Amino acid sequence: MGAEQAWLLAAIPAGMFLVLVLFGRYLPRQGDYLGILAIGASFVLFFPVLVDFLDFFDAEEARLAIHESIAWSEVGDFHLRMGIYIDPITIVMFGVVTSVSLMVNIFSVGYMKGEPRYWWFFAVLQLFAASMLLLVMADNLLLLYISWELVGVCSFLLIGFYWEKRSATEAAKKAFITTRIGDVGLLIGIILLWRETGTFEIQEIIHQAEEGLIGGNMLFLSMLFVFLGCMGKSAQVPFHVWLPDAMEGPTPVSALIHAATMVVAGVYLTARLLPLFEHAGGMLMIITIVGLVTALLSGFIAFAQTDIKKVLAYSTVGQLGFMFVALGSGSVAVAMFHLMTHAFFKALLFLGSGSVIHATHHNQEMDKLGGLWRKMPITGTTFFIGCLALAGLPPLAGFWSKDEILLVTRDAWTVWAFVLLAFAAICTAFYTTRLFIRTFLGPVRDQQVHDHTHESGFIMTGPLIFLAVLACLGGFVIFHEVGEALGFPGGITEFVFLPPHEPHEYEIDWALAGASLVIALIGVWFGAFMYWNGSLARSTRLAEWNPGLYALITNKFYFDDMYQAVIDKGLLGFSYVVAWFDRYVVNDTGVDGSAQVTGYGGYLLKFLQTGRVPNYAMGIAVGVVGLAIAGLAVTL
Amino acid sequence: MVPLENYLALSAILFSLGVYGVLARRNAILVLMAVELMLNAVSLNFIAFAAYLDPERITGAVFAIFVITVAAAEVGLALAIIIRLYRNRATSNVDEVATLKW
Repeated sequence: MGAEQAWLLAAIPAGMFLVLVLFGRYLPRQGDYLGILAIGASFVLFFPVLVDFLDFFDAEEARLAIHESIAWSEVGDFHLRMGIYIDPITIVMFGVVTSVSLMVNIFSVGYMKGEPRYWWFFAVLQLFAASMLLLVMADNLLLLYISWELVGVCSFLLIGFYWEKRSATEAAKKAFITTRIGDVGLLIGIILLWRETGTFEIQEIIHQAEEGLIGGNMLFLSMLFVFLGCMGKSAQVPFHVWLPDAMEGPTPVSALIHAATMVVAGVYLTARLLPLFEHAGGMLMIITIVGLVTALLSGFIAFAQTDIKKVLAYSTVGQLGFMFVALGSGSVAVAMFHLMTHAFFKALLFLGSGSVIHATHHNQEMDKLGGLWRKMPITGTTFFIGCLALAGLPPLAGFWSKDEILLVTRDAWTVWAFVLLAFAAICTAFYTTRLFIRTFLGPVRDQQVHDHTHESGFIMTGPLIFLAVLACLGGFVIFHEVGEALGFPGGITEFVFLPPHEPHEYEIDWALAGASLVIALIGVWFGAFMYWNGSLARSTRLAEWNPGLYALITNKFYFDDMYQAVIDKGLLGFSYVVAWFDRYVVNDTGVDGSAQVTGYGGYLLKFLQTGRVPNYAMGIAVGVVGLAIAGLAVTL
Repeated sequence: MVPLENYLALSAILFSLGVYGVLARRNAILVLMAVELMLNAVSLNFIAFAAYLDPERITGAVFAIFVITVAAAEVGLALAIIIRLYRNRATSNVDEVATLKW
């Protein structure tokens, strides 16, 4: 099988979605093995695609991407084609999506055991993976938008999986509506680009932009709208509010959304369109600022969260901010590298937290956990690896990618961007340490919960171990030798690049690597200093040191309250005016009013009907005479 | 030969009398008679015009015969209605028959 058949990767899970939706509930085990089989087939088929692509790929001969398309529809002069476009970015996404989805599917067999609508869960997981795979190989913006929306719908369905719970339905709606606000921007951006270029094909649009055929202001405007869509999907400030609430979904879904499917779609799209962003003057600056603000804000908010999943959710928001900073600095390779390493360790952390939640019978408050490592050695160890990777300690995956992001930021922007980003990295290390110590170490806080805790079965720890290995080793693909040994042209920076940029070999910058290590260690040390002894005395003192700041952080910088106020005052106020207009002007005056005027007119006119024949006869006579006079007047 | 204008004048006078009768009379039978008067005025017009304008053919006379036929049928129907009215209401005054309204 060659790379031209890569559409099968998406088609197989999509077909399985149909099978599971129609027949899932009647199958033995509700068809969970079919789901694993389908996504597993995608994962296996990824390798022939990869091998075929690597045979084809040659940077020096400018063989950079495989593009296949078929006619979609023709209306007059308008030809629409759809197809697949496979380049190194797509290959990285294929690897991430298929591997993480497979692990999540396997893990779910253990985690979701005995849940209602078990078959439905697996069905939507298939559609989720399929739409994400379609998204990353779409060659035109229209197909991309369709799969973009499919991804949104799937996350809506899965976040609201426990729809008996009101908070789950609210969270699902919030996720859908918040991303929708961005999606409208994306749609406007796509339409603007189409109006300017007359095509939806991404490479054609990029080509025209490079030729300078798109007006500068128009390009900036359309890319701004497109970036709104990316911000919504990737939960960047101020659209980040949906992601922490999305924790209402089952934990494997959180792993999928955060690592492989939903939120990285925005990063992917920005990476895919980066040549356009580069030509739209000033957009790179906007992307960097959005990423930086997001990384810092989410870092602060995560300090004060006590729910394991919420901490992880804010860390995802922050890491996505890091990716956007890398993109804003013009480096696709580094962003994709961090996307990949982050997918591995974040999926690991979420599945690990899922294992904890499952074992403690749905307890996810850190205040009731603690001392779990002894009870759950495998989950604890893998979670520890994930935490170290997230904190950015060498030689784990997160260290290399975060180090690279700091490097490109330092090279592309002023030292202040670097300092702020480094500070965000310190925050990350701090709250990661806090999360681990308070969950797995320290004294037992709730004996009853602790007594019932047990290590999860192999069906759940297996994926954890697999992802932990990736989180340990995934970072080494930056090195030329490792990449070459795996059959790639070299390290990831030599493989993933967008023309006109040249691939470059990674060389370790010892000063910066040292700085990254110090940054991570400061965060970890501070976290350990605050929480190691198992008491909250030190952190309480820190909170009381500046109550205003503490309130700001615990209230998540009042974003939710602000939106609530805008909705309550602004939207509902406006709706009140509209409702008043509808009730009194449209309904009472317009509809009822015209009926009343007609009715009253009829009431008045009916008295003309006397019922006396001579009156009618007089009417006829007067009419005839009148007509005769009128006729005469016209003739003469 | 009597000039056409005389016939037309007579016809107009007859028609006006008929109109007056329809509008002014209250007795249903008299109203009916006034209607007959108007019909005859029209018939007279037909015949006069036919005799003066196209004496070779009998088109006008045929029309007059049609009008007489229709008038006879109409009178038959109207008298029947008036008889029913009188049986039911004990009146033939058209002003008192005014329930067909609103």
